[in-house]
Amino acid sequence: MPEIWVAVQAIARTRRTLVPLGLIGSSLAATALAAAALAQQGSGKAPPAEIGVYSGRHYNTDKELYRQFTARTGIKVNLLEGKDDALIERLRSEGKASPADVLVLVDAARLEKASAQGAFQSARSAALLRDVPVNLRDSKGRWYALTRRVRFVVVNPKQVNPASIRTYADLARPGLKGKLCLRDRKSVYNQSLVADQLLQRGEAATRQWIKGVVSNVTQPFFTSDTPLARAVATGECGVGVVNTYYVARMLSGEGGAQDQALARNLKVVFPNPAHVNISGAGVTRHSRNPKAAIRLIEFLASPSGGRGYAEANHEYPLKGYGDNAILKRFGPFKADAVTVEGLGAKNRAAVALMEAGGWK
Amino acid sequence: MTAAGKAIAVVQPSRGVLAGGVLLLCALALAPIVALLGFAALGEGPAALALGPDGREQVLNTVALVAGVGVFGAALGTATGWLTACCHFPGRRWLRIAQLLPLATPSYLLAATLVDLGSRWQLRVHGLGWTVLVLTLSTYSYVFLLATESFSASGQRQLEACRSLGVGPWGSFARVALPMALPAVGAGLALSGMEVVNELGAVELLGLPTLSSGILQRWQGEGNPEAAVGLALMALLIVSLLVGAERQLRGRSRRWVQNQGGDAPQRWPLAGWRRLAAQTLTLLPPLATLGLPLLWATLSWDQLQGESASELLALTGRSLLLALAAAVLTVATGLVLAIARRWLPSPLLQRLSFSAGMGYAIPGTVLALALMLIGGPLALSPLLLLLWGYGDRFLAVAKGGLDAALERLPPSVDEAATSLGCSWPQVLLRVHLPLLREPLLVAGLLVFVDTVKELPLTFALRPFDFDTLSVRVFQYASDERVGAALLPALLILMLGLVASLALIPSLESDRRHGG
Repeated sequence: MPEIWVAVQAIARTRRTLVPLGLIGSSLAATALAAAALAQQGSGKAPPAEIGVYSGRHYNTDKELYRQFTARTGIKVNLLEGKDDALIERLRSEGKASPADVLVLVDAARLEKASAQGAFQSARSAALLRDVPVNLRDSKGRWYALTRRVRFVVVNPKQVNPASIRTYADLARPGLKGKLCLRDRKSVYNQSLVADQLLQRGEAATRQWIKGVVSNVTQPFFTSDTPLARAVATGECGVGVVNTYYVARMLSGEGGAQDQALARNLKVVFPNPAHVNISGAGVTRHSRNPKAAIRLIEFLASPSGGRGYAEANHEYPLKGYGDNAILKRFGPFKADAVTVEGLGAKNRAAVALMEAGGWK
Repeated sequence: MTAAGKAIAVVQPSRGVLAGGVLLLCALALAPIVALLGFAALGEGPAALALGPDGREQVLNTVALVAGVGVFGAALGTATGWLTACCHFPGRRWLRIAQLLPLATPSYLLAATLVDLGSRWQLRVHGLGWTVLVLTLSTYSYVFLLATESFSASGQRQLEACRSLGVGPWGSFARVALPMALPAVGAGLALSGMEVVNELGAVELLGLPTLSSGILQRWQGEGNPEAAVGLALMALLIVSLLVGAERQLRGRSRRWVQNQGGDAPQRWPLAGWRRLAAQTLTLLPPLATLGLPLLWATLSWDQLQGESASELLALTGRSLLLALAAAVLTVATGLVLAIARRWLPSPLLQRLSFSAGMGYAIPGTVLALALMLIGGPLALSPLLLLLWGYGDRFLAVAKGGLDAALERLPPSVDEAATSLGCSWPQVLLRVHLPLLREPLLVAGLLVFVDTVKELPLTFALRPFDFDTLSVRVFQYASDERVGAALLPALLILMLGLVASLALIPSLESDRRHGG
């Protein structure tokens, strides 16, 4: 590697020029940034043909859809993607000065939390009432679902008979001791699953269920879904609970050939009835352009726009089971009757039960 | 304060300006903490400090983590620093440079690659041990940088005296070099301790419940930001105790170096198993921190999802711009505070400027919340808030090294300059800046690399359509889409590597003297 060494020596020799050069470059950068910041400060108010979107979803294909929306309506979309809770907090602290018109969040509990904090305004439109099923939207019109995802069960058939699992309740059976693997309590998807059980089966049964499930888990709790699905596929675990799109993603080959081969080892089971979660959006309370905001939500919830939003991430559209070949292979499922609004409302109670039950 | 105090007595004029500047900077740096205190008080008050069911475990894990990373990081950083500065073995020069490589790898990236690689090979990467390993690898470079600079810059004469008196390598290390390097090691340790307490990404990925993950849990899981802030303030308290202890230690070992450079440094030659051990010890950590992500990238190459070149360029440009601006701002602030610490004897100012560095210990998410609390009502531009956040967070990184460097400059330097008629700005420009050039460069580059890797502040405070590389990596990684995270992650590594390479001249400065 003599060339590199020569380069390094050259760098060492030119260091006297490097330092001032670096300083000049850095000062320029600082000035440019400050100027940009001030310019932004000056042009605080957005012209009417622009809307700001705060989104907890991060898919490049989402951006493509926003571009389509702009092409169709002439309304420019300014996008800020972030973590859902941080976005809610940012919106709250910005108050009336917030540049956001639409807030897109993932998971029922977060939508409900944002509603409770007054992040949204009520907005109604015939198109939304038509396109979004009643159990997938807020009763006061503060938010509307855009896509659906199911928390289903993956099974390694060499370890566990897939037919032995028909409902979430079956996961608490003593026969699964040491075979069940779960993601931790921090996962908002698990929180919503427990909230779902609370709504369907009541507190006593859910407490009992958590006890059974937790005693079946002998390995450390997982921190994400994909490694959990892999562990079931390799036989380290016999059964796991994950969101549909993680397995679909593995099967699609997006995660590489190895993941694809692993995912083929998995048998997937939709518990009957299945727990359905959503990503959704609402018009922010201090939106300067609520009309344009509702048009974007209508577009995303419409069968054409919504399909793009869902398919990018192998999620289910608001109605039906999608055209995606992998989702078709998963087959249909029977969604439970719980409203998404109810899931959000029970979130805190669910987390408290999980804590008390030793769900790490 | 005694000896430094004398220097101040000589450096007279317009101290008010300096004091005013320090007050202003400290006010800016401390404003978020004050905002947090107010916010916590609005909530449940002292009840917010209640730990909750997992609290005990979180505190214990945090303490164990800080202790573990502290012990291993100090040992590794000091050992590599000493070996590559004061011993002679084949490959020394390259291995010395290699110690900078871990700076380029964000700890969340290292943790994510380990978890991902592990789950392919049926190994659960999980828990305290792994977390200590990851965080030791990603933070020991701070100790190394500050310690090795001290080993090679200071006290060659003393080491030569050791030789002439027949004290061996171990004796000269333990009895002379180490005590002299203690301020630097302490500063490095304080940095790594703060980094460990506020670490979130790696800790979450490795499933270790700590205070910082508890904070997030309180805030986001339970929708209780006030309680989260309470916990954050508690973490801050733990860190202030740590840093206070480090100050005490440093105060007791204050020594100045009378000669700068001059003669060719003499190194202890190593042979046999000692040579092999030295090579292994200095090779393994950089190999792991750079090699694992690269291995992971190679194995995941089939999942690569391209992003358009213009998009990647824009992401890189923003990362670069933010990092350069943050480096200038932070180093300038750090320099003012470090100089004031030397020249202004007021204990109040000293304490203020000390606590101004505490922003580093606040978890980034909480600091972001604090800045939103301040910036929201004032409708400050997100970019200004973001730069403010960087400055606040990385001030400790810049200041630690500058403080340690200034401590090695004997006050007689200032005295000589003033007795020759220099005013204090002249002393600063003509004496300190030239002498501090390398520590300033090191500080600037550290802040640069840290900003490129920085996540929570950038994530929470950036304006519309202003994604950076680290934001992109995190978004994809948190969606468990490794393939899409690949290119931006490699670009972060590259930016970090380039910046680390720029540190080489300052590491190799001893060569000028004929080494």
